[in-house]
Amino acid sequence: MKLVSISAFEIAQKVRGGELKASQVTQEALAQIRKVDGIPGSLLPYQVSAEEERKVHAFIQVTEEMALAQAKKVDEAVANGEDPGMLAGVPISIKDIFCVEGTTTTAASRFLENFEAPYTATSVQKLIDAGGVILGKVNLDEFTFGSSTESSAYQPSTNNPWNTEHVPGGSSGGSAASVAAEETALSLGTDTGGSIRQPAAFCGVVGLKPTYGRISRLGLIAFSSSLDCPGPISRDVRDAALMLQAMAGQDPKDSTSSVRPVGNYLQALEQDVRGLRIGLSPDYEAVYYPDLETGEIHREPIQKEVHDAVLRAAEVLAKAGAEIVENVPMPNTRYGIPVYFVVSRIEAASNLHRFDGVKYGYRTKSEVRNLEELYRRTRAEGFGPEPKLRILMGMYLSAAGYSSDYYQHALKVRAMIRRDFDRVFDPIGEFSLDAMLTPTTAATAFKRKDVFGDSLLMQYSDQMTVASNHAGVPAVTIPAGLDDGGLPIGIQLIGNDFCEDMILRIGRAFEQKTQDDAWRKVRPQALGGEVQA
Amino acid sequence: MKDYEVIIGLETHIQLNTVTKIFCSCKADSWEDEPNTNICPVCSGLPGVLPVLNEEAVRKGAALAAAMHAEINPESRFDRKNYFYPDLPKGYQITQFDQPIGKGGCLDLKMPDGQTRHVRIHKLHLEEDAGKTKIEHGTRLVDFNRCGVPLVEMVTEPDLRSGDEAAQYLIQLRQLLRWIGVSEADMERGHLRCDANVSIRKRGSEVLNTKTEIKNVNSIDAVRQAIGEEAKRQVELVESGGTVKSYTLDWDADRGKLTMMRSKESEADYRYFREPDLLPVVLSEEKIEAIRAGLPELPMVRRERFEREYGLSAYDAEILTGERSLSEYFEAAVKCFGGGEKSISNWMINDLTRLMNDLDKTAAELILTPAFLAEIIRLVEEGKINAATGKNLLRKVEESGRDPVEIVEAEGLAVIADSGALRTQIEAILAGAPDEVANFKAGKESLLGWFVGQVMRATGGKADPKLTREILLELLKN
Repeated sequence: MKLVSISAFEIAQKVRGGELKASQVTQEALAQIRKVDGIPGSLLPYQVSAEEERKVHAFIQVTEEMALAQAKKVDEAVANGEDPGMLAGVPISIKDIFCVEGTTTTAASRFLENFEAPYTATSVQKLIDAGGVILGKVNLDEFTFGSSTESSAYQPSTNNPWNTEHVPGGSSGGSAASVAAEETALSLGTDTGGSIRQPAAFCGVVGLKPTYGRISRLGLIAFSSSLDCPGPISRDVRDAALMLQAMAGQDPKDSTSSVRPVGNYLQALEQDVRGLRIGLSPDYEAVYYPDLETGEIHREPIQKEVHDAVLRAAEVLAKAGAEIVENVPMPNTRYGIPVYFVVSRIEAASNLHRFDGVKYGYRTKSEVRNLEELYRRTRAEGFGPEPKLRILMGMYLSAAGYSSDYYQHALKVRAMIRRDFDRVFDPIGEFSLDAMLTPTTAATAFKRKDVFGDSLLMQYSDQMTVASNHAGVPAVTIPAGLDDGGLPIGIQLIGNDFCEDMILRIGRAFEQKTQDDAWRKVRPQALGGEVQA
Repeated sequence: MKDYEVIIGLETHIQLNTVTKIFCSCKADSWEDEPNTNICPVCSGLPGVLPVLNEEAVRKGAALAAAMHAEINPESRFDRKNYFYPDLPKGYQITQFDQPIGKGGCLDLKMPDGQTRHVRIHKLHLEEDAGKTKIEHGTRLVDFNRCGVPLVEMVTEPDLRSGDEAAQYLIQLRQLLRWIGVSEADMERGHLRCDANVSIRKRGSEVLNTKTEIKNVNSIDAVRQAIGEEAKRQVELVESGGTVKSYTLDWDADRGKLTMMRSKESEADYRYFREPDLLPVVLSEEKIEAIRAGLPELPMVRRERFEREYGLSAYDAEILTGERSLSEYFEAAVKCFGGGEKSISNWMINDLTRLMNDLDKTAAELILTPAFLAEIIRLVEEGKINAATGKNLLRKVEESGRDPVEIVEAEGLAVIADSGALRTQIEAILAGAPDEVANFKAGKESLLGWFVGQVMRATGGKADPKLTREILLELLKN
């Protein structure tokens, strides 16, 4: 088996055991990037050749020198009999929303084209300290605002490795695609409304949104501060557990990071699922969205193959000894997106205030007569359409006189969504669930340009994921098959606060019980697999 | 002017004297530092950074709330105040909006004429300071050093009625801030900044008319003058048929003039919302109790107690409680002396304060301890040294740090109270002045003063004056 295909867990084990050199793994990963990734996303005009159309385009920036230096350090540590850490030699990509000293951090925006942070995000630093090798920064929707990566200012944006005519999802599209295309074993993403889980599901990989506060947000360029969570993307559950283990824990520089002790996630995977109570909810069987003309709420059932995959997973888990609890009511799930529109836009508009052309980043090149014109032109030229839309909406929603109608109201509904989870996870309650089992997305990856441009519709692709962001609870997506078009299907496990160990354990059990499934043998297009017609 | 009443509210920004800034570990004080040398990613608003609350800023803010007789909120929160300005690197200020650390509060002003003015506090909250901008050679420059310095914003109700009252408010506030140790309160250095809201109304009226806001009234005199000027302007305007408009005015202290900065027709919308990067500030009952218990006796209370307990005049009590360490010095000296409050008060007001001014020291910084002062006064009152020697001793003790008794002995400063020794010296003096002795004996008794002077000169001022007189009279009358 090629080195790039094996798991992070195995790489680290072999590197720590001296069987494998980190430098060798790094070289092979770099070669894989050269082979499948194509031209990096950039602000420059580019030619769309037929060949480039079939590339992944996950990376904005490959940090070859840095990666080789980190790998060398790991190899030296091993040679000196020191332990290089639990991620020794594991190739990792970083969503380009994390500040990493020695790299530019663009947030996929023209605004930060040349921005070099003078510090490194805590989560990234922990990966490096654990012996991980950072291969580079991967593409995303501009400032993480989107669900397809198409809104990146750095084009070409990422393609879905399974079928390059389709989007990889977003906003962590580059992260999910780089892992699916075996360019890296792991990627660090962020999830505000589903931005880890939706692209992971679209790309057939594992994506974990931990409990809010489990991983430090320091160094993550904020989108919506009360919702943002960094988290791992990997090819299997064990790797997600490993990466979480390396990053979880309190950070004195992030007041919202939790002081709770960190569990042993890898050890948790060894337990089976016998006796665990796993819920299925009718509220995760359809998408609810408003008719813009009439305000009427439409109900659209989710893609049948996705629904079937959830039911099948329930059967698999039941066979493994879990108890499936049906008809669990999660009545406020349908309000997740409207609440998200309000909370995330208001926080985003404020978080983007600092991009004003005064201190760093883009500043208009045209002559300006006064300060206000400097602001106007700089922001008009520096931001793409999606940030502008979100700023406008956030400004409107938080304006005096409107804030009480929208923001205060949204906070109340958010609390109701949280209560849905409190009720089902209450250990002495009616359901006393250990996890919820739901689809990750209502449908598999859509085609490029199909949804892009319709900001509202795009947002509704997060309906299955956003509730756990509002509630702060952890959720993981796991590959569960392919649809008729050969595109990956993801199922989601949602757990109680800080019960990452529980959902990872259930996910691992599902993974093991379906190890021999035929769909698992199918290779993505970018790795030489056939694309189904 | 007589027909009108001036209505004033003051908005003050108080810089807390913490070691570090409110949300990062840069030092709080950047006085005389080069621009942008005391900054970090957090206070200069780089992408991805997060604030971490300085607990000491909370404690000091709460202490101030307690000292202002405000309620301390057991749970307060931070909010974002969003606006664009180059000195605000994040594009929002972290402040407290609807759940501030303090609620209510008041300060009673003791006016020099003996009247008391009760001033209510409308708002008291914690926030971060912004940086500074200036225009030099047509270029706007920004200095972020001050970004993130902890502030308490404290706003009064419109309870003040004159420039003098506003000045008195600042005087007492400054005293209080230093007294409880939460701010250096140096107005020149911007530790205590003030804006004044001014309106007028006919006497007897209860309405609040349109007010103007005067920015940058950053000294006691400026407050008094600017308010006076503005009240005069408003009265003249109204008297001549005009109406007061909601302006923001700038006080130019150098020229003593108000200039209009901008009209304030519509209130800016700061789109306040909860700061999601910070947790609520929770102060337990015990913590609040500890903060209250940790407060010293407040200046007004101590002033009244000094009058009551030590029988000091209002004037003396005011001076001795002008500064906390001075008042503590006084009480310590009284304790060492075992009373003697009136003479200690006199010595302190007349002589010690002069020494402190000369040396630019506070009472707490003196080497001359209260015990030494008490000893010196005792030496004088017991006639062991004379008053002039005592006064000189103050400086000698301060400079040497030695016990006054020791100095008196070592330098032979004690009054010559041994009548034998003194008699010998006086006899010698009389022998050397036969003409004066003859004149005295002939009836020119006013010469006694001259003889005393001679004795003092010969003894270096150490002769006991009473004893000198007795011996002189005895020898001259014979």
